[in-house]
Amino acid sequence: MKQKTRLLIGVLVLLSLVLGACQPATPAPDDTPPPATPVPTDVPEPKTLTIVSGTDVEHFNIRRVTSSPSFSVLEHIYETLFYMDPEGNLEPLLAESIEAGEEDFSFLIKLRQGVQFTDGTPFNAEAVKINLDWILETEPAPVFAFLINRIEEVLIVDEYTVQLNLGSDFAPLAAHLSHGAIAMISPKALEQGEEWLNGNAVGTGPYVLENWQPDEAVTLARNPDYWGDAPAIDTVIFKVVKEDGARIVEIEAGTADVAVRIPPAEAGRLAANPNIDIIETPGLRTIYIFFNVTEEPFTDVRVRQAVNYAVDVEAIVRDLFEGAARVSDAPIAPAVFGYSAQPAYARDVEKAKALLADAGIPAGTTVVLYHPTGRYIQDALVADAVRAQIREIGLNVELRTLEWPQYVPKVRETKPDNEIQFAMLGWGTVTMDADYGLFALFHSSEHPPGFNGAFYDNPEVDRLLDEARVVLDPEARRQLYAEAIEIIWEDAPWLFLYSELQLTAVRSNVEGFIVHPDESLIATFADKR
Amino acid sequence: MINYIIRRLLLAIPVLLGASFFVFWSIRWVPGDPAVAIAGELATPELIAQVREQLGLDEPVHVQFSMYLFRTFQGDMGKSVKTGVPVSSEIARRLPNTLQLAAASLVLSAIIGIPIGVFSATKPNSWFDGGSMTFALLGVSMPIFWLGLMLMIFFAVLLPKWLDLPGPVLPPTGSGTWKHMVMPTIALAANSMAIQARMTRACMLEVLRQDYIRTARAKGLIERLVIYRHAFRNALIPIVTVIGLQFGTLLGGAVLTETVFAWPGIGRLLVEAIGFRDYPVIQGAILVITVGFVLTNLLVDVLYAYLDPRVHYD
Repeated sequence: MKQKTRLLIGVLVLLSLVLGACQPATPAPDDTPPPATPVPTDVPEPKTLTIVSGTDVEHFNIRRVTSSPSFSVLEHIYETLFYMDPEGNLEPLLAESIEAGEEDFSFLIKLRQGVQFTDGTPFNAEAVKINLDWILETEPAPVFAFLINRIEEVLIVDEYTVQLNLGSDFAPLAAHLSHGAIAMISPKALEQGEEWLNGNAVGTGPYVLENWQPDEAVTLARNPDYWGDAPAIDTVIFKVVKEDGARIVEIEAGTADVAVRIPPAEAGRLAANPNIDIIETPGLRTIYIFFNVTEEPFTDVRVRQAVNYAVDVEAIVRDLFEGAARVSDAPIAPAVFGYSAQPAYARDVEKAKALLADAGIPAGTTVVLYHPTGRYIQDALVADAVRAQIREIGLNVELRTLEWPQYVPKVRETKPDNEIQFAMLGWGTVTMDADYGLFALFHSSEHPPGFNGAFYDNPEVDRLLDEARVVLDPEARRQLYAEAIEIIWEDAPWLFLYSELQLTAVRSNVEGFIVHPDESLIATFADKR
Repeated sequence: MINYIIRRLLLAIPVLLGASFFVFWSIRWVPGDPAVAIAGELATPELIAQVREQLGLDEPVHVQFSMYLFRTFQGDMGKSVKTGVPVSSEIARRLPNTLQLAAASLVLSAIIGIPIGVFSATKPNSWFDGGSMTFALLGVSMPIFWLGLMLMIFFAVLLPKWLDLPGPVLPPTGSGTWKHMVMPTIALAANSMAIQARMTRACMLEVLRQDYIRTARAKGLIERLVIYRHAFRNALIPIVTVIGLQFGTLLGGAVLTETVFAWPGIGRLLVEAIGFRDYPVIQGAILVITVGFVLTNLLVDVLYAYLDPRVHYD
């Protein structure tokens, strides 16, 4: 028996050695939440703001991340030359001004002086040139390099002025420079290589990276040498809590100060809690179903309009979103520069049937609708609602449901492989300029593998979108976009659906927390009472 | 016995190779491309092709598998394609969490479940037996997901409100302190506890009907000794088997519990990796889980010999 006992102990030791040998690479963060209301003392308590979010950062290389939760974290560390405020006004940030240069198609950007990266490297014209050249020349190219790929040359005029030479005028340039992916990284950090940048971040922003536990939390600490007004919050924690119900418990318990992506069904109950405020932010993401206008039966504009008349988007927003979405009245959201509202396709089944009959489409025709699942809020349910409503006008819809990693290549297939008849997508116009929202989706040069999945091709729309890119006068651009939107609306290459509202719960002792329409969460101006 | 253990450990090698081979090929059959996930939905096909090349996904699958095996034998499981962090560090950070939770929930479930089963078996059809088995049925049927949220609401929202406390009794999510462990342990133990209670009851009832129990009673042994020395010890073998299997399963991660409580364990890592088609992480995590299963099964077999003197492995 003694021998057996020794053997048993031996096996237990083996098991614990193999399975338990691994120790955490870094100590686990003590994420015991701070009290919701700090106790006042003579020395002010450090203030911590805890944000519970459903998604972690991908990594810390701001050139390569693609998701809004990643940008939310990284834009506290990195800054851009310009900043698009939540109202859509472009403001200088690391730049002081932008103006047309003396040469054709050139722009002069004056930079803010006295700014340093957190590794001590000065921010100046050389740093800007290194950053922009890096974006334009690195292979494989960063996914957002297209935002500035009209820049042909970056010249250093003096220590705090750069000249950008373009091949043609490009009106949305400053808006594109405000995108997080074009943020300024310390040249010294860039020299370390991308692998290093995946886990480290050296910017000029109000916060620095203190700790990252993948899939658990990112902790940011206040940058003591920040060039601007010091933020009131000392530590910002982005904690990953995937489960909606758990995020709601966190905000109700006061263990989190901000909870993102609140399910619409819970928003009313939380709003009734005196300790919680619900922020409703109209999003920049428009959800739509594009028709492949080169595939029967959607080659006929009357069929496309009929489907628009058949679908009751109001009912979808009311019943599936509890009102937390906005029925589209343009292909871009209202916060985007260039938006102009169009008359709604209000539900009219008889009119839809008449349009189908005019187009010679027999009742019972089957069409295939592709849609993703789990990518957009309620996406599969919306597709099913659309299917049911379209059936009322005599079109049978077969649904093809795909996971996102399969779905994207499918909708971007080129001809002749592309077999999509109509398919659901969403598009966030994150630069808040119509160029980003309309050119990529409706210009004939953007057919798949671009995002004009409709294969829409209207020379007049092309002309208007081309012109709006090079006209520098904002009012003239607005007019051009209004004309383009009117034509697009009438041509109906999409079933126009809705734009999402972001619902964010914030403890009522938190002030100044910003939920940007581009889905960024900004703690820089926040404070806790 | 030592020979037996060495033989079992050697037999584990083809099991691990087989599991690695199966996982490596099967995840590549699942539609979806990690290069698309990394490059983002806006990426051009050229960029996606470049990323594929960088990840070595443009090589034939058998070449990729050979390279993977070669690196794994050298102790290099590669890097997460999502985060760029070495897979071994990702696993090393989460494995202790998974082990802690699995061990704590099994200990809790055994402490409560087994005595309930024994007591129920000694008093069959009593009110205690009926009550505890109904309770066990509830435990088996209750979705962990729902139970987790109920516990969270109770300890973090309702109890502090009723007791007028300034903060939650237990932190609703996260890890790092013993307080974080309480709720996930209870949620996870509820199911195991119910299974163990029912299993123990059934095994004990069977053993208590055996002739040697009657003999033990006839020779005047006190009931406590009859139950614990003669009956319980013999009923333990199937119970240990079930506990071993439960532990092995929990090493694979209690995905729902880990998700609800934002508990950073292997299961959540694996599910996240599958969603992102993060091949190196999927391969590494499943390899570790397989090792865990193999070792747990070995431990259970050794325990048989310890519990039952009739079992010999030589």
